[in-house]
Amino acid sequence: MSESTENASRDVVSKGRVEAGIVYSKDPADFYYMSVNVPCQNACPAWTNVPAYIRKVYEGKYAESYAINRMVNILPGILGRICSRPCEDKCRHGDSDLGHPVNICHIKRSAADLKREEPSVPRSRFAQNGKKVFIIGAGPAGLAAAHDLATVGFDVTIYESLDKPGGMLQWGIPEFRLPRNVIADETSAILDLGVTLKTGIKVGKDVSLKDLLSQYDAGLVATGCYVSRGLDAPGEDLEGVYPGLEFLMEVNAGRRLPIGKRVIVIGAGFTAFDCARTALRLGAENVSICIRGLEEELRVTADEIHEAKVEGVTIRPLLLSQIIVGQSKVEGVEFVRSRPGDLKPDGRHRSLAIPGSEFVMPADAVIVAVGQESEPLFVNDTDTKNIALNPDPVSNTTGAPRLYSAGDFTTGPSTVIASIASGRRAAERIAEDLLGWPVREWVVSIQETQVTDRQREWDYIPRVEMPKVEPPSERLDPPQREVETGFDEKLAEEESKRCYLCYLHYEIDIDRCIYCRYCIDVAPRHCIKLVEKVITNEDGAVTNLVETGNWRKVNAVVIDNDQCIRCGACLRICPMDCISVSKVQLLDRMIPSGEQNA
Amino acid sequence: MPEQRCVIIGNGPAANEAAITLRENAPDMRITIIGAERSGHYRAYLLPDFVCGKVAEESLYVHPPAFYRERNLHLRLGQSVVNIDFHACKITLDHKEVLTYDGLVLAVGSKPRIPEPLLIFEDLMLTLKTVRDAHIWRERLTEVDSALIIGGDLTSLSFANALLTMGKQVKFMLNEDSFWPVRCTEKILSEASEKLRAKGVDVILSNKIKGIAQEKDDRFHVETNARNFHIGLIGAFFGLRPNVKFLAKTGVLLEKGILVDKYLRTGFENVYAAGDCAQVYHPEFKDYWVSIGYRNARNLGRTAALNLLGGKFQADVAAKNIFEVDGIVVNTSWWTEF
Repeated sequence: MSESTENASRDVVSKGRVEAGIVYSKDPADFYYMSVNVPCQNACPAWTNVPAYIRKVYEGKYAESYAINRMVNILPGILGRICSRPCEDKCRHGDSDLGHPVNICHIKRSAADLKREEPSVPRSRFAQNGKKVFIIGAGPAGLAAAHDLATVGFDVTIYESLDKPGGMLQWGIPEFRLPRNVIADETSAILDLGVTLKTGIKVGKDVSLKDLLSQYDAGLVATGCYVSRGLDAPGEDLEGVYPGLEFLMEVNAGRRLPIGKRVIVIGAGFTAFDCARTALRLGAENVSICIRGLEEELRVTADEIHEAKVEGVTIRPLLLSQIIVGQSKVEGVEFVRSRPGDLKPDGRHRSLAIPGSEFVMPADAVIVAVGQESEPLFVNDTDTKNIALNPDPVSNTTGAPRLYSAGDFTTGPSTVIASIASGRRAAERIAEDLLGWPVREWVVSIQETQVTDRQREWDYIPRVEMPKVEPPSERLDPPQREVETGFDEKLAEEESKRCYLCYLHYEIDIDRCIYCRYCIDVAPRHCIKLVEKVITNEDGAVTNLVETGNWRKVNAVVIDNDQCIRCGACLRICPMDCISVSKVQLLDRMIPSGEQNA
Repeated sequence: MPEQRCVIIGNGPAANEAAITLRENAPDMRITIIGAERSGHYRAYLLPDFVCGKVAEESLYVHPPAFYRERNLHLRLGQSVVNIDFHACKITLDHKEVLTYDGLVLAVGSKPRIPEPLLIFEDLMLTLKTVRDAHIWRERLTEVDSALIIGGDLTSLSFANALLTMGKQVKFMLNEDSFWPVRCTEKILSEASEKLRAKGVDVILSNKIKGIAQEKDDRFHVETNARNFHIGLIGAFFGLRPNVKFLAKTGVLLEKGILVDKYLRTGFENVYAAGDCAQVYHPEFKDYWVSIGYRNARNLGRTAALNLLGGKFQADVAAKNIFEVDGIVVNTSWWTEF
């Protein structure tokens, strides 16, 4: 935190607003503090307040936990099952000396599963403003944008080309990972805000974009990426070769495709894994996912890899597909073995073919899941000229006035949580452009608090893994049976105990410190430092601590909140009571009507 | 690097051969061997004979402690490496000690492989890779009169023999995935079944275990897609998996094992891998290949050490049909000699 708000958190008001003893800061230094010191929230594209909702689960307040999630990520029950979990990669508990990351995603699901009452859904604090917005696509980005626009008084209509809302959630993710009643419940909660959904209408075919723009004040394109990329390899048109997304959409629509016993899946993302696990449920006995690179460079979660293997999928790394072999029907794939080359900018190795290593792997079906792209959408500018939209992922604008874009259509294939965040940003932009003032803001809230009841031994609790249907053979029939069965209250409490609650900020009042160093003696890691100098950036945020082992050069004893695991040992041992703890949270706030200029 | 420090991680045949080779060629080099097990270097291929009492425990061990003292080889037993910083040349042990090195040989070996679909039953199955495993088998076999062998790796057949000599009833579950590290064919399956049956083994041709339940300490109920039965003990013999999990995210290239070139180089300067944790591209197989067996491991250990000292020797990758089992070189039809 900046020096000014550190003071504010104790007794005085500085740059922030004070409401009921809480400082709401918009100081860039405080945003910097949050980005470094609450790594889970910072890693979430939607900035979900992870420590807060985990704490609520620990307290058994599941509906409140759900509400904290829903405030920013809109679809907690869905995300608690299928989120890509960037938060867990950054969880401090996963540092090499601290064990394994907290099972954040599944704690989120437990809030959705275990809540006994329906959480309060944010209703509009705005009167209807008379502005009409259309959204093309009822996937995560479109639904998130619809939610946010409806809650600030817009009249929202969604045009969906398929017959149900949910987008990729509905059609691209298998039911054994995401039950359809969960999608129905959470999409209904959005539509219940007064959003109109028109299904079975394809914009550009059944209705023109130009006509929609003439009827509405603004529009949002959130059509996702539904066009499967191919391999550009001979044989892709053979019978028995399926594009990955089309394969999943067909199966999710209830069709049973003939795939035989031996299936090769080419691809390295979630779609490839979903295809492979779906193939097992269609009766395949020998399913291989063939990837160009190394297994540890896969873009899917470790859980997903493990579960696919447990169900019987084999991952075959370092293979480059050359030709899909067959006469009229697919018979196999010719691969060439590869070796890892130098590193690419994305941190993965280049794949280099090994000459002479060609071989054919036999197969009854081949599923090509090497990525998707968006279907181009044109706005008819004149009677003769179509203009491509050229979406801008930063501003969410397009080349056409009053037309915005969000989600995978804008960025290319991403994740559900990134699409939700994108949809929300687009909604904020539309609202501000149409109304002339902002309707939402992010603030850092700072309030004094007590040390929690967390106990040091909780840091040694092993990560609680999600219970699943066992043995794995039981998962395949019926094919839609949900594999992950969810935490019960006991497991949810146990796993939530593991969270360090990084939204707590520990700080030494240097004016009262007597440099006894007791706190350093009890510190579980190198988190309290004797420093010669504190380095700050131009906003006043602490960016570095210059430590010294020379006692005469020590100017302060400082808690490094980036290393701190919030155990509270320093606070309890301090003889001068000069260590304070505050709760620092990054919050999304609606700015009520009439307060925009306050 | 004669006066520098070389660390060898592992204490199997590749590691010991590397250490001996280094000492022979660099008398002043500081050489440290780090072994995760508390026991000294032993001949793993004798474990089935030790279980059935044919050989004494002393016969398992290759070198007495004095061997290492005389050669000034620092032997650290019961210590696990948890991380390696290949850029800083630092090794972190599980008790937080950090060692530095100038040269490093990764000869971390492998551990029993349980196929992922059977992991749910892992706690109900015994393996046979270490001396400790062998002691557990010896103790448990005193309480039961039957055992089931699942899988079909190099150890499984000699262990089936050992059990038969102890007068135990043996069931052997075979399927096309049994004969690690080679793919089983109909012909192999039929030959192996015939030979096993001729010895009195009850062969179960099944490719799926549907359930295992422990009814008592010495009684398990096994449900397969072929038939259901009771058994005293269950052994998993699905071959080995390179013991490289701790190397994930360190930058070293991992497929199943550590990917090395034909000189056993890992890509990091002065870091080599040898033994059954190393994978070399095998042109005949058109695949990356782990050379298994005692003799192969020693050869690779020697090659890694010589290259670390500045040599340029190619790894002698075993021909694809050659393995070594029970100290003798055999081809992939080893089950025919059962």
